[in-house]
Amino acid sequence: MLRYVLDRVKSSVVVLLVVSIITFAVLMIIPGDPAQLILGTEATTEMVEELHAAMGLDRPLYQQYLGWLNDLLHLDMGTSYVYGESVKSLITGSLPVTLSISVFAMIIAVFFAFLFGMLSAIKKNSIIDYFSRSIMQLGTAIPSFWIGMVFIVYFGLKLKLFPVSGFVPFSDDFGGFIKSITLPSVVLAIGETGTLLRIVRSSMLDSLNQDYMDMAKVKGLGARKIYIKYALRGALIAPLTIIGMQFAKLAGGTVVVETIFSLPGLGRLVLGAVEHRDIVLLQGLVMFITAMVIFITLAVDVLIMFINPRIKSFQRGE
Amino acid sequence: MKRIIAFLLAAVMLFSMAACSNQENTPNEQPETSAKTALTMGYTTEPEGLDPQRTAAASTFSVTNNIYDTLVSVTSDWEIIPRLAKEWNVSENGMEITFTLRDDVYFHNGRQMTAKDVEYSFNRLKDAESPKAKDYENIVKIEAVDDYNIKFTTETLDVELLKRFAYPWTAIVPEEAADNLKTAPVGTGAFKLKEWNPQQDLTLERNDNYFGEKAKLETVKLVLIPDATSMMASFQVGDLDIIPLTGDQVTMVENNDTYQVISEPMNAVQILSINTDNEILKNEKVRQAMAIAINKDEVIEASMFGYGDKIGSHLPPTSPDYYDTNDMIEYNPEKAKELLKEAGYENGFDINMTLPKNYQLHVDAGQVIADQLGKIGINVNIEIVEWGTWLSDVYTAKKFDTTVVGHTGRLDSYAFLARYKSDSNDYISLKTGEVDQLLSDALKELDENKRTEIYKQIQVILAEKLPAIYLQTPRTMLALQKDVQGMEIFPIDVYDFSTVSFAE
Repeated sequence: MLRYVLDRVKSSVVVLLVVSIITFAVLMIIPGDPAQLILGTEATTEMVEELHAAMGLDRPLYQQYLGWLNDLLHLDMGTSYVYGESVKSLITGSLPVTLSISVFAMIIAVFFAFLFGMLSAIKKNSIIDYFSRSIMQLGTAIPSFWIGMVFIVYFGLKLKLFPVSGFVPFSDDFGGFIKSITLPSVVLAIGETGTLLRIVRSSMLDSLNQDYMDMAKVKGLGARKIYIKYALRGALIAPLTIIGMQFAKLAGGTVVVETIFSLPGLGRLVLGAVEHRDIVLLQGLVMFITAMVIFITLAVDVLIMFINPRIKSFQRGE
Repeated sequence: MKRIIAFLLAAVMLFSMAACSNQENTPNEQPETSAKTALTMGYTTEPEGLDPQRTAAASTFSVTNNIYDTLVSVTSDWEIIPRLAKEWNVSENGMEITFTLRDDVYFHNGRQMTAKDVEYSFNRLKDAESPKAKDYENIVKIEAVDDYNIKFTTETLDVELLKRFAYPWTAIVPEEAADNLKTAPVGTGAFKLKEWNPQQDLTLERNDNYFGEKAKLETVKLVLIPDATSMMASFQVGDLDIIPLTGDQVTMVENNDTYQVISEPMNAVQILSINTDNEILKNEKVRQAMAIAINKDEVIEASMFGYGDKIGSHLPPTSPDYYDTNDMIEYNPEKAKELLKEAGYENGFDINMTLPKNYQLHVDAGQVIADQLGKIGINVNIEIVEWGTWLSDVYTAKKFDTTVVGHTGRLDSYAFLARYKSDSNDYISLKTGEVDQLLSDALKELDENKRTEIYKQIQVILAEKLPAIYLQTPRTMLALQKDVQGMEIFPIDVYDFSTVSFAE
């Protein structure tokens, strides 16, 4: 087990390195220059060139990259030239926002997906099955910017139940914190529930058709024990993998929802970094998000190994 | 497994309880005092740091103008008034200007401001890392005569020199704090920075040691809300006291007793720039045909919901040098077709139009124009690009046929018009050179009336020769809660919160 984790960590370093080179290269290829963006439409060509040089952007590309890499190895992610703040503090500032709404969204999504997914598998073709399948379709079909607007106007403006925008840190005011992340989390959850529900339903159906289910019934076990202990356990692998992927996706920042609800999260930071061609900030963000995704998938894989020992032995090559 | 479900259930319950329990104390109501002293304003673009000499971003200057002071100020009527300088003196030949500073100005760190600080700040403005350095190239000598007198000497005569000391990037900063101004600004202004949470909000608090009349507000909180609909919603629930308005939103607030709307023409022009190096577009008749084929009223309606003023040349109607050239180019699609025929393009032609995605106002205008040009047989292919791409491809590399964009923010007409010199390296220019002599004359003409006359001639030439088609001066609009008073819109991109207060 430990060796497996170590192997994965080793390969992650390579992945990170490759990703950093790709981000850097992409930023160099796409048009747009930070000096130009700072100066805007009232600048002359000479002004742009001078600022370009002053910002150190006229150095050869490999030098710029190696310089950045060298700083990174010394645990210095550099300073964003747009904000003038260290990349580290910008990330630590926006991470709690994104993580809070991602975690809440996933809790909501997992709860409803499992509830309705299991019910609809157990009572296949019943009313509840049709109901959950329509929910599933709706959830995937509704665009998040639209539902976000509807929520703001209805719950924020009309009923005044929730603030229409902004984020209240956990440490400032717990109630305010919960309220500020409720709407965005629900919007995100709506988008994820559909997909997850479908996976839960199909793995559950698959699991219910296994021979051991008949065995369990013959043994005369109670329905609850049959469904939860046997069927669900067998049906957990696929949904868990999906949950991991969904969570990783949300935790990397959700530009649309963060923009609509004015949340200072990672997604908006990434967007700003791209728009301003803030190479240092973007490189730092990409590294951080990649590392986070790698970590989450690794954690999910380890979790799955605990649930399904067959995979563990497969990893050992038995 | 039971435990997991139980946990999930518990989590959801806790979550919904927390959400419910807070409904009693509605968060949107602020404690009522006789007069509020905390103002909250929404804004859409984050400042690029708070160092006035290290950025060219309007979003920065609108904030820093409250933290730092400049030697002189410009009023909303374009008048130059004293600020850090009590008075000034221009030498006979117009090449030297001496400012006498106030002797009661202190930085936020408690140190008194002297002429040495002014000298330092201008040298900093002129160094390589400063985006605006080129604009001050002409100032060759900065000399602190004594503690309260500072003399600037120019290389060549610049009749608009005084106005250059009103821009927010000429703010006076203390040397000892200069390295961290981006995040820890220290100025002399009516407000100090209290707190800045990037991507979220920025709070200013009153400077009680301000030399001028102290601000009535205790704090000003600027909240970043990038989405216009969320912004409007926050304003309507009362979370925000002031918000910038887009044209389509005006109807939502204008006939409502609880709000007020203020609007001023921006100090800007929206233009359809034309690449006169293009084989077809270098033909003057073609450009004239295009100009009269465009219905500018429709363009203003589509891009600003009518909140714009039609223009015929490259100066905004608010400018003291503005000359109305609208009657020179009147909408006439029939005549446009004839002109095209005369130019030899009876069957029309194809051109590209590159539009900057980040500016909805220009994209909307471009789409209407494309449609209007289509009616006289000019087939316009629209390409919408990101701002960074626009700057490098269109603005710098000049790879475009036509584009719609805005030019903004200058107090002197020369800066607005200098790009039309035939030898300017700009993305648009008047290659035939008719305005070259006039522009250099304008820069040397000390008599204001004669200068205005020269600028009038330039505007007329531009309206005739059409190196660009001049569309409109859009309006800046702010929505305010009814009790907000004293908020003004300036010809440069700044806000001044020191005069703002709430009605009792």
